[in-house]
Amino acid sequence: MELVCVGLNHRTAPVEVRERFAVPQGKLGDSARELLQIEGLEESVVLSTCNRTEFYLAGDHAEQAAAELRRRLAQAHGADSDPHWYEHHRLHAAKHLCRVVSGLDSMVLGETEIFGQAKEAYRQALDAGATSGVLNRVFQRAFGIGKKVRTDTRIQEGATSVAGASVELAEKIFGKLAGCRVIVIGAGEMSRQTAQALVSRGATTVFVTNRSYDKAVGLAEEMGGRAVHFDEWQSVLAGVDVVISSTAAPHPVVLPHHIEAVRRIRKFRPLFLIDIAVPRDIDPACGEIEEVYLYDIDTLEQLAIEARIRREKQIIECDRIIEEELSKLNLPGT
Amino acid sequence: MDRWFLIAATALAAAGGITGMWTVHRGTRSRWTVIWIIAAFLAQIGFLYLRGQARGACPLMGMGEILAFLAWSLTLFYLAVGPAYRLSLLGVFTAPLVVIIQILALLPGVWISDPERLPATDAWRETHAAMSVLSYGALALAAVAGVMFLVLDRQLKDHHLQSGLFRNLPPVRELLKSMIRLLWIGVLLLSVGVIAGFVMQRQGGTAHLIAASAVWVSYAALLSIRQVRGLTGRRTAMAAVLLFVLSLSVFALV
Repeated sequence: MELVCVGLNHRTAPVEVRERFAVPQGKLGDSARELLQIEGLEESVVLSTCNRTEFYLAGDHAEQAAAELRRRLAQAHGADSDPHWYEHHRLHAAKHLCRVVSGLDSMVLGETEIFGQAKEAYRQALDAGATSGVLNRVFQRAFGIGKKVRTDTRIQEGATSVAGASVELAEKIFGKLAGCRVIVIGAGEMSRQTAQALVSRGATTVFVTNRSYDKAVGLAEEMGGRAVHFDEWQSVLAGVDVVISSTAAPHPVVLPHHIEAVRRIRKFRPLFLIDIAVPRDIDPACGEIEEVYLYDIDTLEQLAIEARIRREKQIIECDRIIEEELSKLNLPGT
Repeated sequence: MDRWFLIAATALAAAGGITGMWTVHRGTRSRWTVIWIIAAFLAQIGFLYLRGQARGACPLMGMGEILAFLAWSLTLFYLAVGPAYRLSLLGVFTAPLVVIIQILALLPGVWISDPERLPATDAWRETHAAMSVLSYGALALAAVAGVMFLVLDRQLKDHHLQSGLFRNLPPVRELLKSMIRLLWIGVLLLSVGVIAGFVMQRQGGTAHLIAASAVWVSYAALLSIRQVRGLTGRRTAMAAVLLFVLSLSVFALV
């Protein structure tokens, strides 16, 4: 019995190639079952995400079946895609699957979404009757190893984006973000992403203010929040916990006296200021106020870079765990 | 025998503190600290039970017993507050304080090796002593939470976010909440202790009661200001630490 993985991902193929081979989420099981028509193939799982499409194949002549699959794909979607495909055989295929479910092969190193996506792909293949003794065991072991990698290493630790770093800091200040109130000053893309990340973690009330009120209304509607006229944002400052500022103003918008004016009303509660504008929107002197924690774009970017570096340093340890765990098993097809 | 219980409690608390600090240094959660501290707590109970039997009363006679009772109270409040509010790191900060207090209790001159049985007990006196020392346990833990807050506040202000300590410290708001709760509990217990102190039969000790009342007024003022006017976390934490250190002078007047 042979095990083969045929695939392309964000490293080997640009998006215009990847999109041609993407399989809709609801059809992963059907696609896996259709592959069994290829001679020499007894089992298959199709994994398709925005960053990869992979076919896990098992059978007595799976290597020949993989060549046939690639021929058919070239026929259906264009031969120019051939250089973008990679193939892993036997133990290398199992190792590759373990790396994929552990997030080591992802665009954002250590991301967790791929684990659920791989589980869903396997579940659909199982339900469609496209898997049996080999792929069942290989996938189940890979999920176990993926969990161990995430538990025993720091591959998931630290946020790797500005929005993620902001959320982590907000949680360090406020704990659970449920009930946290946020004001977004400037309805740009970065502030939208950051506010969205906070809302996804439980922040309940979002005020949006912008020089163009229509843009503020648009973003507020998207967030389920409330738009505030630009000359009125100071009136809601007393009630918020987080300020995200990202305007195109050439001078600071949030000044120490704005905060000093509401400190008593706020009863000196902690206030988290996120300045993601260049030039900066929040006067650095605001950070000197006792209960204020001020972070600008450089600091947040640096945090994200450091997290990425820390995660990269974990790759060797993750690979060691995968090797060690696989060596304990006598997986079929490897 | 009672001495060995206290020595064991000190060793167990030290082990909890050291293992906790080691895990924090490595950047992981100090899961075992609470187990060590539970073991230390049981040894403290063993000590207090034997001493209580020997005295025929609550063992709060002399500085050694008061300090041992204070360490027990501090541990009790940690066990009540720490795991419930997921403040596992509170144990790492609490353990050294428990160790220091118990070492002081064991020092020659402080430690009484053959406790005399009391001929009679005064319920008000026992209430005064027990509630006052118990309140100090809560106030000591509030001071520990205050130190933790000050460390975290400084790290967040200076953007020093990479240490294992930072990763393990609970959120600012949680620390503040638990510190305020502990201050309230401490002040309520101290109120009972001070009232009982005025009611009990006294032969001297007026300076001690005045000092205890001043401590009570200071803590009550801190909580009132915070409640009515508001106070920054940093000032609340600094006041909690400072007041606790100053309030220890009350013991000098026992």
